[in-house]
Amino acid sequence: MRRLIESEFKKIFFLKSSKVYIFVLIVLSLALGLAFSLTTNVTQGKTITELSSMDVLSANMLGTDLANIMLIIFTAVSVSKEFSTRLINVSLAIIPDRRKFFIGKLITFFLLSAAISIVVVLLSYLASRMILTANNMPEVSLQDFTVRRFVLGVMVMPVFYTIITAAAVFLFNGSAGAITFSLGIMILPALVKMFSNTVQRILLPIFPQSAIHSLSGAVKKDSVESLGVIASICLLLIWIAVTSIAANIKFQKQDI
Amino acid sequence: MIEIKNVTKVFKDITAVDNLSLVIRPGVVTGFLGPNGAGKSTTMKMILRLTRPTRGEIRIGGKKYKDLKNPVSKIGALIDGDTVNPKFTARQHLELIATASGLPAKRVEEVLKKSGLEKAKNKQIGEFSLGMKQRLGIAAALMGDPETVILDEPFNGLDVDGIHWLRNLAKELAEKGKAVLVSSHLMSEIQAIAERIIVLAQGRLIADMTIEEMSGRSLSAYVKVRSENNKQLKSLLEKSGALIKFVSDKELHVHKLDMKQIGITAKENNLAIYELTKVEPSLEELFIELTEGKADYASA
Repeated sequence: MRRLIESEFKKIFFLKSSKVYIFVLIVLSLALGLAFSLTTNVTQGKTITELSSMDVLSANMLGTDLANIMLIIFTAVSVSKEFSTRLINVSLAIIPDRRKFFIGKLITFFLLSAAISIVVVLLSYLASRMILTANNMPEVSLQDFTVRRFVLGVMVMPVFYTIITAAAVFLFNGSAGAITFSLGIMILPALVKMFSNTVQRILLPIFPQSAIHSLSGAVKKDSVESLGVIASICLLLIWIAVTSIAANIKFQKQDI
Repeated sequence: MIEIKNVTKVFKDITAVDNLSLVIRPGVVTGFLGPNGAGKSTTMKMILRLTRPTRGEIRIGGKKYKDLKNPVSKIGALIDGDTVNPKFTARQHLELIATASGLPAKRVEEVLKKSGLEKAKNKQIGEFSLGMKQRLGIAAALMGDPETVILDEPFNGLDVDGIHWLRNLAKELAEKGKAVLVSSHLMSEIQAIAERIIVLAQGRLIADMTIEEMSGRSLSAYVKVRSENNKQLKSLLEKSGALIKFVSDKELHVHKLDMKQIGITAKENNLAIYELTKVEPSLEELFIELTEGKADYASA
């Protein structure tokens, strides 16, 4: 498995375009976070000093949403290239155990997204601290449980959607279906919020967004999205498991 | 050794391979022939488990392909020269294979040298000609120094030097005791390298024999005879079971009787023989004979 993952990483980093894309992703995510936190007088009608330190941190972390979307696109395109270039013929001739190959892909993109997510979140956190210091505002610290929980919760989001996207490429036979699927489950809760409370109470807790928001502490306890930590982790794992099992079954039966 | 046992592959309502059984033996170059849609590529893909048989089984050294511990040392295959990411360089493509298979990095350089791609190793594959892609595909197939080499249409796009290289390579691999299975539409190339021929048509096995055996059974093979009295010799040979398909004052074309029997018959009847020439059909003629009326796609 180690050799397979090493080979998968080479597939990504042999390409100059991948390295550039990941660099741009990190820079843009950080820049977007900074833009949000420095324009609160326009976006929220409040100057930065009128906000709490946690609000400044939250605004900076909004860049992670961009990182998430860019990672979804990157993952879908990278994984689907295996099929569109028919390199899959060569890959499966070397690793004929398709389940192993599939798991290797997921682990590769899990590790990649985790690394990118840590970099983006930590840079955004450091940027927040600099802004807070520059404005003589109380600092946020990772020693504070609320801050730590928020930062960790935000980190989970790109990792979760990357794994889901990688699996979805196998399930939907291409990048378009995978991107639609991942963005769909990300955007659908916003649509659900247009419906009545009853519908929201039934549907919202089953979307991964509820689990991610609950993990980061971004939802109030009385919100319909609020879940416990264990329930949130279980919900995310169920989404990953169901998508992966369906994708793996499809991949096992597929003629290349 | 690859054993294919009663393998059938059905795609929706089309039977691509129909109850196929054969053995790919080591130390021999085997030509894999058949008209378009005969099931050659499907069979090759089923050996590698890229396509799953609907029925039957394929074993490599007694094991299923997916159960092989180090598949690259058992089978190396070129199924399609285009199964590469065009953004990679030749060296990167082979390095991926080496990494995933646990082969040493020096193997990449060895194979690049062997395939004549050393100078182009840092060039993006997208800039390669079809012939260079074929060389790269063959190089990839050789990475694990496999016991069996499967090459689907390897001559496509190769220049004269490439064809010469591949001919020698196939023979060299067979001499080393490896099983080499080569499919091609170029009958002359298969005739030049293969000792054994497998012919498929409409997914079924039509022939599995040496070229000599095939020629012997062919209706296209005959002995050209010139004698002092062709008419008299014709009737004598027909009595001995020969089939005479062409008669003229100058020569006879004698089927189903060998030169020795023709000579003895002529001698016993005091007929002078001026010429006895064995005319063997080309592989192309044999192929046409074997697959006549069995092609799914034929020109009008």
